[in-house]
Amino acid sequence: MKAISIKNLNKYFHDPVEFQVLKDISFDVNKGEFVSIIGKSGSGKSTLLYLLSTMDTKYDGNIIINDTRVTGLKQNQLAKFRNEQIGFVFQFHFLLPEFTVLDNVMLPALKLKKKSKDEIEAEAIELLYLLGLKGQEHKKASKISGGQQQRVAISRALINSPSIIMGDEPTGNLDSKNTQIVFDVFRELAKERGQTIIAVTHDDEFAANCDRIIELSDGKLISQ
Amino acid sequence: MNTNQRIAKVHLTSRFRQLLVAILSVSFGISMYIAMNSFMAGVNNIQTQITFTAMAHIKIYNDLPANVEPILPIPKDSNTVLMVNNARNIQYTQGIKNADAIKNDILNMPEITGVALQLNQNVFIRNGVSKTSASLSGIETVNENALFQTSEYIIEGDISELDKRSDGIILGTGLARTIGVNTGNTISITTSDDVSKTFKVIGLIESGNKGADKTRALISIQTARQLFSKNKSYATDVLVNTNNYNNARLVSEKISKLTDYKVESWQEGNAQLVSSSLLRDILAIAVSLTILIVAGFGIYNIMNMTVNEKIKEIAILKAMGFNGKDIIEIFLTQSVAIGLIGGLIGLVLGNIIVQILDSVPFNIATLTTLPVDYKLRDYILAFLFGVIITLIAGYLPSRKASKVDPVEILRG
Ligand SMILES: Nc1ncnc2c1ncn2[C@@H]1O[C@H](COP(=O)(O)OP(=O)(O)OP(=O)(O)O)[C@@H](O)[C@H]1O
Ligand SMILES: [Mg+2]
Repeated sequence: MKAISIKNLNKYFHDPVEFQVLKDISFDVNKGEFVSIIGKSGSGKSTLLYLLSTMDTKYDGNIIINDTRVTGLKQNQLAKFRNEQIGFVFQFHFLLPEFTVLDNVMLPALKLKKKSKDEIEAEAIELLYLLGLKGQEHKKASKISGGQQQRVAISRALINSPSIIMGDEPTGNLDSKNTQIVFDVFRELAKERGQTIIAVTHDDEFAANCDRIIELSDGKLISQ
Repeated sequence: MNTNQRIAKVHLTSRFRQLLVAILSVSFGISMYIAMNSFMAGVNNIQTQITFTAMAHIKIYNDLPANVEPILPIPKDSNTVLMVNNARNIQYTQGIKNADAIKNDILNMPEITGVALQLNQNVFIRNGVSKTSASLSGIETVNENALFQTSEYIIEGDISELDKRSDGIILGTGLARTIGVNTGNTISITTSDDVSKTFKVIGLIESGNKGADKTRALISIQTARQLFSKNKSYATDVLVNTNNYNNARLVSEKISKLTDYKVESWQEGNAQLVSSSLLRDILAIAVSLTILIVAGFGIYNIMNMTVNEKIKEIAILKAMGFNGKDIIEIFLTQSVAIGLIGGLIGLVLGNIIVQILDSVPFNIATLTTLPVDYKLRDYILAFLFGVIITLIAGYLPSRKASKVDPVEILRG
């Protein structure tokens, strides 16, 4: 069972000069797989992840996620698709600064409206506890540390139990203890619930413990 | 409250000062709208009130025939020359002989609120050696009072006395001063037919119109008929009031069908009053709409700034799965909230301003304070305009927000 299947992806930037970031990339990821993407800085990892997340739609090639061809869908359809199927942790952990930690985690679920507010709140608190954020729930998102923000962003990515979780250096700001916690959570989700994890990382140990490593170099896929 | 509205609320409450400025600009616009219109309506009311203390909505009188028939037909063949010298348009009858009949006919019409007969003539008034011309009105005291509240302007004496004493006369204050008389003195009146009669001054009237007060003299209509030796139902003017002075023209056309006498609505003779009240209305609306539109620009500006400030958060929301419509709802909710809160405050503020205007001393003519009018319609319109303008001003930035491309923003 394939969770993600991409074929012949090419991506160009036109500003300031014509520049090909991704060069003819094709690969598949199975359901329940825990994959890491590595490569030098500037090799195109984040760019690739934005394409996979369906947010960036300006590319050539095909992307199929959970048997849905997302290439060519309209913005509003993609928004709905993301809300249901994809949890995303940004490289720079973007939270809504005026909202509390708990609200940040709950928002994607409130938007999805599959569960009552009380259920969502209970699950959000559970996730926050799991990631070691007990006691931070009611603080403003702008009033916690960088590492804490990153874990809040991870909790937010998990709240809708998305079938695919994508992280752009999700442990980039974390100490080894918290990195281990996040890794274990991902491992568990992949194994127990069959959720697919794709994480960009610079952490060799983190990558080595994954099911598979996809390596980019200058926009080309050099190993998978 | 749904999720989008909750987000809107957090956005609003987290920037209290901007919120306050936006709300105040709406409140200011709406309160100014109310104040301007209430004041203008008050001025217009006073204007018509002053106008109609001396003038009826419709006047019926015996006019010169409008179309003069040519004395001789214009000759058809070119060899004939037509010469008529000194042709005159002569009025054979004066006044209205059967005024009571006309009055009864008119009173049957539903739009009519009152009818009063008058017998007006220019006369000479003499007190010893001082003498002056005056316009003498024979009035039906009760009807006259119903139409013009004449008794409010009688500063000495009582209007109903005119019916009790056939030698009673009420003089305008200016007129009384000119010939040097006071209440209780006697004067003599000479008509154009050289009939003289002595009257006793039983009261003084001051209407605020100096010109009128200098020439005006009132007696009862029966006395006037005797003085001018006219029949029992004679009058020179039939004065008619309607339930709405703005409709006077229409009603006067209806009355024209009942009688051959000239029927004239107040608008016909007073175009300047009609146009000045119209101009005041236009001015009030133009100024107040401008204020509201300026307030709208203020909101547009604030919402635009908000969207620019929050562009990253909009991108995050979109990345999490909020679509364009959600984003529009989030930002439009904010401007609607600003519009509603600002609108309500504006209504209260507007009312306070109007009350303040209402108590500012202003002692001219019959006024003691600035004239204002409290009309529910002004408040409803102000609120509606305010909300509509905030909606438009909020929609444009919201649409811009909904078009934000999340990757562009979040790629960093
Ligand atoms: N908006 C943009 N316009 C033009 N070029 C861009 C843009 N964003 C990224 N690039 C270029 O594309 C290349 C790939 O960028 P990308 O962010 O994908 O790298 P990365 O592998 O994620 O690097 P890092 O490990 O430092 O995060 C870089 O050379 C970068 O300069
Ligand atoms: Mg990157």
